Amino acid sequence: MSLSRRRLLGGLSAIGAASAVGIQILAGVRGSSSTGELLPSRIGLPKPFRLPFRVPPVLAPARSDATGDYYRVTQRAALVEILPGVRTPIWGYEGLFPGPTIRSVRGRRTVVTHTNELPVPVVVHLHGGHTPAGQDGFPADLLYPAGWTGDMMTGGVMAHGRRDYVYPMTQPAATLWYHDHRMDFTGPAVWRGLAGFHLISDPAEDALGLPAGDRDLPVMIADRSFDADGSLRYPSLDPSLLHTPGVREPYGSGVLGDVILVNGVPWPVAEVPAARHRLRLLNASNARRYRLTLDPPGPLVQVGADGGLLESPVAQEAVEIAPGERFDVVVDFGRYRPGQVVTMRNEFGDHTTTAVMRFRVGAAVPDPSRVPDRLAPAPAAAGPAVMTRDLRFRHGKVNGMAGWTINGAAFDPARPAATPRLGDTEIWRLSSDFHHPIHLHLASFRVLSRGIGGPGPYDQGPKDTVDLRPAEQASILVRFADHPGRYVFHCHNLEHEDMGMMGVFAVRP
Amino acid sequence: MRVYGRRVHQWTRWPLRVTSSLAALLLFDQAVFAGQFLAGTFPALQTHRDNATYAGLAVLAAAVAAALIRWTGGGPLWPMFAFLGLFGLIALQIAIGFLRLLAVHIPLGVTIILGGLLLTAWSWRYQPGERS
Repeated sequence: MSLSRRRLLGGLSAIGAASAVGIQILAGVRGSSSTGELLPSRIGLPKPFRLPFRVPPVLAPARSDATGDYYRVTQRAALVEILPGVRTPIWGYEGLFPGPTIRSVRGRRTVVTHTNELPVPVVVHLHGGHTPAGQDGFPADLLYPAGWTGDMMTGGVMAHGRRDYVYPMTQPAATLWYHDHRMDFTGPAVWRGLAGFHLISDPAEDALGLPAGDRDLPVMIADRSFDADGSLRYPSLDPSLLHTPGVREPYGSGVLGDVILVNGVPWPVAEVPAARHRLRLLNASNARRYRLTLDPPGPLVQVGADGGLLESPVAQEAVEIAPGERFDVVVDFGRYRPGQVVTMRNEFGDHTTTAVMRFRVGAAVPDPSRVPDRLAPAPAAAGPAVMTRDLRFRHGKVNGMAGWTINGAAFDPARPAATPRLGDTEIWRLSSDFHHPIHLHLASFRVLSRGIGGPGPYDQGPKDTVDLRPAEQASILVRFADHPGRYVFHCHNLEHEDMGMMGVFAVRP
Repeated sequence: MRVYGRRVHQWTRWPLRVTSSLAALLLFDQAVFAGQFLAGTFPALQTHRDNATYAGLAVLAAAVAAALIRWTGGGPLWPMFAFLGLFGLIALQIAIGFLRLLAVHIPLGVTIILGGLLLTAWSWRYQPGERS
């Protein structure tokens, strides 16, 4: 058979078309592990694992008495050294990033007096707190700087200069965190540094014998990018963070940084004795998700989730953590040789974001800690669900602009999406178009199902944030206990939250 | 009618037409149910999963019917292998779906639906007595 020119051209075109299609499919075959756009730094980045790991300072109460523990926090701008030899302006609780850690004991009322010395109004939310509505940091309840004139017309409760946030702390031991939650401007405010740990302990947890003291390490993981002048780079439309919310395109899907900060230090190295340690992993990133593993491989024994202890520990080979989520894990460094380095990696990362931090294992030491098989009692049986709600989280038009919606609507503080009665149990069926970590204020919940199966491996225990992946559906069982009033639920991709993906639920007394 | 000295049963094309049309319909429905759960309709994901099994069975039935046109109807052999190949792709597709490899699942799904439609179109054009 002779090969005609037509056949040859036809064959070559077919091969060309097939490879064009094939390359397209292969190039995108991994999909994306985070919904967002990388904002590259414009400054030289340090080599990983050179800077020492540090734990945020624990805030001492200004006073303690029979009525509770009283703390004072001043929110102010500060210049700090994050990259070696570079000054970076931040906004910090006490001028620190992360802010100081507040430690509460269950049952002891905690009052935090926040003073606002920043050039913008603020809102403080205790993430994971079972907090009365007026103290929860509703996005419209602004704390203005002292001497501020004017009203941003959010319709919320205003305060000037300082205000108290009063937390009853009646909930079980858990790793909580506090961060800014001002309507439309949460993303840039947290990016500038307004985030810190708030840990609750209780006698039941203390009695378990989990690693404690110096071996109980809060680990706040947050990605950031830096500008040429050392400042934190963020694509705000209005860098004053006063008038126009939002970010410039293409960052409306989320802002991803290229520097991984652990407790505010880029890729730090921690010296640890060869003993069990409790790592309280918190993803405080705006949009980045992580799949954390140890190298050389070792189990991350999960003992706690967002809202407190699991019933029994779970040995995880990896932990997938979305913005807002917490995983309390125990790592036994006694399994490694003294002197060995153990690297915590991010399997969802690329280039600079694959490394998180490193541990250098020291000498063997006595280790009185243990991880008991039973950690917490089974959750009380929930009453029958009185309502099933469908909530669809997706991209949409917000005031004529590209934004993010829940059931087609953008955030409206005055229009509740749900009005459960205090004590009611409901099933919320959440569905997504892209990655949306969905966070509910006030109530902790259990994940009933994910897709057409049961809960995923990272859905166990009491949760306040559930990590929805693209085109995914999850059901949660949520009980509206503790307090009546108006609360929000939202996507914890902070750019999505700022651009509309937040709703109100009002708990009827 | 006789071809190559053998009697050709005209009826043999009908089981293939019916089963392949059913398979094509069920395969196309997979795109419909996917669209529905992407639009936020919760139960459509379960339907998408269940219907994958039915579509696979229909394709398997079409493979049997295609065997019939070969051995009873004197028709070509390749349609049976084509339906078996399609069934193999569906098995792979179901596994990929459970792994949430959506960047493969969706183009493969489009390919499977296209393959089902082309085979069905062939089954309606095919006249027993043709060798190909």
